[in-house]
Amino acid sequence: MSALLACNGLTMRFGGLTALDGVDIAVGKGETVGLVGPNGSGKTTFFNVLTGLYKPSSGAVRFAEADLFARSPQEIGRAGVARTFQRSRLMLDQTVFDNIAVGALGRLDLGLMTALVRRSRFRRQLSALVEQATALTRRFNPQIAANLFRPAGSFTMIDRRRIEICRALIGAPRLLLLDEPSAGMTHEETRQLMDDLLAFREEMPDLAIVLVEHEMDVIRRISDRCIVLNFGKKIFEGPFDALIADREVQTAYLGGGE
Amino acid sequence: MSMLQLAPTLDTANGRSVGLQRVVVALTVAVLFAGGGFLLHTEEQGQVIALLAAFVALFALGEKLPAGRRVAALCVAHPGTVNLTAAVMVLAIAAALREEHYTLLMMATVALFATAAAGLTLQMAFAGVPNFAGAAFFAVGSYVAAVLGTSGIPHLLVLVIAGLAAAVLGLLLLLPVLRTRGHYAALVTIAFGLLLRSFLEVNDVLGGPQGMKVPSFSLFGLSFSRVTEIGPYDVSFYLPYALAGCFLFALAFAVVRRLEFSFAGVALDAVRSDEVSASVFGLSIARWKATAFLMGNALIGVAGALYGMMNAFVNPNSANFGDSLIMLSILVLGGLGNLWGAVVASVVILVIPEKLQAIQEFRLVIFALLVIAILRFRPSGLMPRVTRDFSSFAKEG
Ligand SMILES: Nc1ncnc2c1ncn2[C@@H]1O[C@H](COP(=O)(O)OP(=O)(O)OP(=O)(O)O)[C@@H](O)[C@H]1O
Ligand SMILES: [Mg+2]
Repeated sequence: MSALLACNGLTMRFGGLTALDGVDIAVGKGETVGLVGPNGSGKTTFFNVLTGLYKPSSGAVRFAEADLFARSPQEIGRAGVARTFQRSRLMLDQTVFDNIAVGALGRLDLGLMTALVRRSRFRRQLSALVEQATALTRRFNPQIAANLFRPAGSFTMIDRRRIEICRALIGAPRLLLLDEPSAGMTHEETRQLMDDLLAFREEMPDLAIVLVEHEMDVIRRISDRCIVLNFGKKIFEGPFDALIADREVQTAYLGGGE
Repeated sequence: MSMLQLAPTLDTANGRSVGLQRVVVALTVAVLFAGGGFLLHTEEQGQVIALLAAFVALFALGEKLPAGRRVAALCVAHPGTVNLTAAVMVLAIAAALREEHYTLLMMATVALFATAAAGLTLQMAFAGVPNFAGAAFFAVGSYVAAVLGTSGIPHLLVLVIAGLAAAVLGLLLLLPVLRTRGHYAALVTIAFGLLLRSFLEVNDVLGGPQGMKVPSFSLFGLSFSRVTEIGPYDVSFYLPYALAGCFLFALAFAVVRRLEFSFAGVALDAVRSDEVSASVFGLSIARWKATAFLMGNALIGVAGALYGMMNAFVNPNSANFGDSLIMLSILVLGGLGNLWGAVVASVVILVIPEKLQAIQEFRLVIFALLVIAILRFRPSGLMPRVTRDFSSFAKEG
């Protein structure tokens, strides 16, 4: 079976610095891959290249049988790749609903005629989207669903993460990239968030997820397979138990190597 | 916030109290407009100062007292009542002051500058594209009216062409504006304004430094300058301009509001607040900035055309940088993204200096102080933009 996402020899250089160095990563339909590595090892860069924010220096990216190498973020987004960001990027003074709607804009009618003249068409789309957003947020936290029209900035950190994840999910992506969803949260909050994610994954068996995470506990609970980056190179790939035992991974994390 | 907390109580309110709420809203708007109309009319210094004091006091009450905040929230919750009352009041004021040339001239000026501010709102408040050349696009509209006004083309069509011309001229700016950000994009528009003005000064076809005469607006064969009576009443020929100006503003208002309350409005907010996440979710930054920039300039151009026809002439000085700054001050003072704020700010910036002889000499100093004070104490303006809330729309549909 051919993978949903297949990156081969993906390389990203910033001047003299090679942030990604010939990385091969494949992700299958419905698979959850944990992506780990020390600070500055290239995890976020991998996401940024994959979503078109950075133009890779060389390599190949295939997604759902299409060539997505060095495509624009817009094309890649429409092809079905959605993500969250390491540092929250919500419109804090807009409502939760408006924030989540951004994730659905790709499939909505944004035409000026609909906005200005054909208002009934707009209203139909709006009602449908409100229903979807309510159903989606309710899975993560009924409190968000009940307060869909309050500013995103009035919610706690963990709820903002949930809102960001909902924004990524509302467009029905085939691949979801989560960049350190637990950053800045307590253990308890992280545990809750992972419960939500696991529950959600049950309902969407085809969704592929790549999760960047520093907390090994989270990686262990969630991932089918783990990949370790160090200095932009893939140094390990395999199940979590093997990761813990791997010598090279240990040196990468504890220092001492190079 | 106060409005959002109020929303559930509004939902559960029964029909009678909703009716009462509408009455409160209508009365509030009527009082404000009546005050504004009186300010336009009176020449008496004591009255002007008393009116201003009353406005400041009302504003402070609306802000500080819970009851005042509740009334403000009601106005947000019943936009239909606000708009209807405003329309009725405009007609009433125009009827009452029908013979006063100068009052009506000011009324029309306020309406047309507010229309231009609506165009700038699309650009700056929605898409985040700076435009420091508002007066230049306004002047483009006036020049189109001057050139085409005598050509036999129906004047309504001339207004449309003026809008298109301003939008097309804006195209010249589009590439550099899209490629640059923030201060640099602002500089591009400043340069454009200066260039346009120099071009107009040396261009003999367009009258050079003297400018051109602009024919009076005529609607279905009726020239506004020849309107001296309606039925049994003597009226100023500025009356039709005041009404047409307010009508134009109402149109611009409807366009801006509908755009704001649509998915296109969400797209614009997304592009303005974070280009990175907007792109990742598939939005084309260039498309939305271009849309807002072109639409905004079109609105400014149409307003400028009617303004030129009202003033009967246009010269290169119409495109001066100072007037562009005045348009921007209207936007900032009123509150970026709130068109009622733009109306209030237009009155403050265009009318009050005319009314208060004492400050006329110090006009510029007072402007500067006012803008600094606003930026310091109320950075989101007199009437900040209200967070868009789709909930009422979703229920109806
Ligand atoms: N836009 C950029 N320009 C120059 N260098 C960059 C850029 N983005 C990332 N880098 C560099 O690439 C390397 C990898 O960074 P990246 O953000 O991908 O690490 P990371 O694995 O996500 O780390 P962390 O766990 O701290 O988030 C770092 O050395 C970083 O400084
Ligand atoms: Mg990172």
